[in-house]
Amino acid sequence: MTSLRWSLGVLALVAATAAPAFAQEANPAGKVKVASGAAFIVRNGTAIPAQPGQTVLENDGLRTGPDGTLGVTLKDDTRVSLGPSSEVRVERFVYAPGGGNLEMALKFVRGVAAYVAGRIAKLAPDAVRLETPAAIVGVRGTSLVIRVQ
Amino acid sequence: MSVRRALVATTSALACAMVAGCGPKPIEQPKPPPSARVLIVLLPDADSGRVGRVHVSNAAGLADLSSARASTEVSVNGAPSPVSTMSEAEVESVFGAALAALPAIPRRFTLNFQFQSEELTQGSRAVVPEILKAVKEYTSPEVVVIGHTDTVGAAAANVELGLKRAGAVRAILVEAGLDPSTIEVRSHGEGDPLIQTPDGTREPRNRRVEIAVR
Repeated sequence: MTSLRWSLGVLALVAATAAPAFAQEANPAGKVKVASGAAFIVRNGTAIPAQPGQTVLENDGLRTGPDGTLGVTLKDDTRVSLGPSSEVRVERFVYAPGGGNLEMALKFVRGVAAYVAGRIAKLAPDAVRLETPAAIVGVRGTSLVIRVQ
Repeated sequence: MSVRRALVATTSALACAMVAGCGPKPIEQPKPPPSARVLIVLLPDADSGRVGRVHVSNAAGLADLSSARASTEVSVNGAPSPVSTMSEAEVESVFGAALAALPAIPRRFTLNFQFQSEELTQGSRAVVPEILKAVKEYTSPEVVVIGHTDTVGAAAANVELGLKRAGAVRAILVEAGLDPSTIEVRSHGEGDPLIQTPDGTREPRNRRVEIAVR
């Protein structure tokens, strides 16, 4: 009985110390600004309906259904938007110019999307990686559109 | 030699047993087809009309896009196609829905301070009402107040100094009527200068606070 209570206590302690570490990993990358039709944020394998004002985290996927569109502004002013039946993943987002840490990787998985460069592309163009299933896209401060089919 | 080979085989078999990749795994849908074809089109910047550059590469080759609506198509097993220019109508028909969903262009304002003071210059005071007006044009607006310094002093101390300046601007904006819950205060210290200088350089134009509205 005592030992059961003790081990439960240890378990609770482990959970309490593990939780902040996990929360620290959820690094905010930006916010949803535009969402219409079926538009989702995919987080840890779960699709959450997207709404303006919602926070987008590093490692989140942006996904739309056949009638959906979605527009996101990241913390460095990068803008990304999706047409219908599309998916883009925010694989990496680090924006801390004070410490010289800048990194962004977006993966264009399918469908149509627009990308408009932000501050990371201006401060450190080589820190921006746009991935597609067939090629890597490097940018020099610009706007572009991508279709993956 | 053969011993080492056997060892390698054993190790990789072990690794295979341990890593989920070799066994059945949950299907993560949707995946792009293995024959994925990718179309990339460079567009002029909506605000300035400026055209940047895009470099498309894979194991088989590369393509450089450097003019308005320059495009290339690339598939998994081949080099990017020669560059061709898409018409505005084609861009609109393929990408119109995505382009229409782009959020409003973020705006940046810069405030300068009187020398060795937390008082804004007269010119910067006039910018404050402009900022409040701009915020009303955004859905779910965010106002990010970013403090910057010149390169005099240690980088870490400059992050602190930038934070202090940004805090002063936050107070001014709240006083002027901005909703405090929309404001985020940050400091880029000396890491994001307006004017590039060597370390240890006094530069008044770098001692500033930027306000990003998006």
